[in-house]
Amino acid sequence: MNALASPEVGKYVNDNFCSSFQKVATFKIVGGAKQGGNVATYFCAPDGRVLHAVAGPVDSATFLREAQWVVETTRKAMKESDGDGGKFKAYFRKAHAQKLRDEFGLAVEPVTFDPPDAQDEKDALTYRDPSGQPLAPRLPPPPIDGPDVRLEKAELNLRQTNAAKAAGAAPVLDRAGGRWVLGNQGKVSQILAAHAMVKIEKVYGTVFENVLGEKISTKPVEVDRPFSWMEKDGNRRVSTR
Amino acid sequence: MTLRQKGMALAVVAALGCGGPAVAKTPAGKPATCGEYGTSVQFEDTPADAAKQAKKDEKLVMILHVSGHFQNPEFT
Repeated sequence: MNALASPEVGKYVNDNFCSSFQKVATFKIVGGAKQGGNVATYFCAPDGRVLHAVAGPVDSATFLREAQWVVETTRKAMKESDGDGGKFKAYFRKAHAQKLRDEFGLAVEPVTFDPPDAQDEKDALTYRDPSGQPLAPRLPPPPIDGPDVRLEKAELNLRQTNAAKAAGAAPVLDRAGGRWVLGNQGKVSQILAAHAMVKIEKVYGTVFENVLGEKISTKPVEVDRPFSWMEKDGNRRVSTR
Repeated sequence: MTLRQKGMALAVVAALGCGGPAVAKTPAGKPATCGEYGTSVQFEDTPADAAKQAKKDEKLVMILHVSGHFQNPEFT
C-alpha cells in the first residue's frame, strides 16, 4: 500500500481528514471475461459533497500533493465565499478548471450553476441495481475548449508531454476536434470543473466509468475491511483454507 | 441567493467550521476507535462515522472506494 502507507501522507491525512472506505463492485470486460480491481479516493465536505478525487493508484508524492491542494483550496474558498454556498461551489469548480490549465495546458469553462435535475430516481426507465436502487449516473464532462491560449507553444508542449506520462493518459478531443492528452487526474479536474460539490453517490460512477474505464455493477457497500488481506490492526490475515 | 444556496452555505460552513478544515480538535491521546489496516491512515468503520467525526473535529472527509479483486498492495 504505497501512498497510504507513507508516514508523511498518513500524518497529513489524519490531521486534515476523517477517513473511511466502501467497496464498489466494478469490472472490465477483457477477452469476454470480467476483470476488476481499482481504487478511487474522494475528498469531501462532511455532508458528502465531493471537493476533489484521486482516480486510481498513485504514488505518495502525488497523493500528498492532491490532498494538500484540496485543503488549501477549501481554505481559500471558505474565505472567498464568506458563507455563501453558491460562491463556494463556483470557486471550487473554477479552481478545478484552473488546475487543468496549470497542469495540462487545456481550457474548460467551469459550470458554476446547476440546472434542476431532470432524472427522476423513480422513473421506470432509470436502471436499477438488484437492490432496486438506481446506480450512479455518468455525469457529462464539460467540453475542452482547446489549449490555454496564454501559453507559449513550448510550454504547452511540455505540459502535454507530462500529461502523456501520467497514469491513465489517453487522447481527448476539444470542441474543434483538436487532439490532446489527459491522464486520470486531468480527467478528474475536467469532470469536477462542472460537478464539484455534487454528492459522492452521484460522482463515483463517473470516476469509475469515465476515468478508470471500469463498469459499475452495484452501489458502494460498507465492508468490514478495505483490504481483504489485511486485518484492522495492520496484521496480515491468516487464511483458514 | 436562493434558499437552496443558503442551505448549502450553512451546511458547508457548519460542516467545515470557521477555522478551516485543518484545525484538528481531536484530543491528544484519545483511544483509537478505528483501524489502520496496514496503512498510516486511521479509518473509521463507516463513511457516516467519518462524516460525524469530521463535523466534530472540523475536518474534511476522505472516502476510499476499492473494488474488484483487490489483492495488489500497489493499488493504494
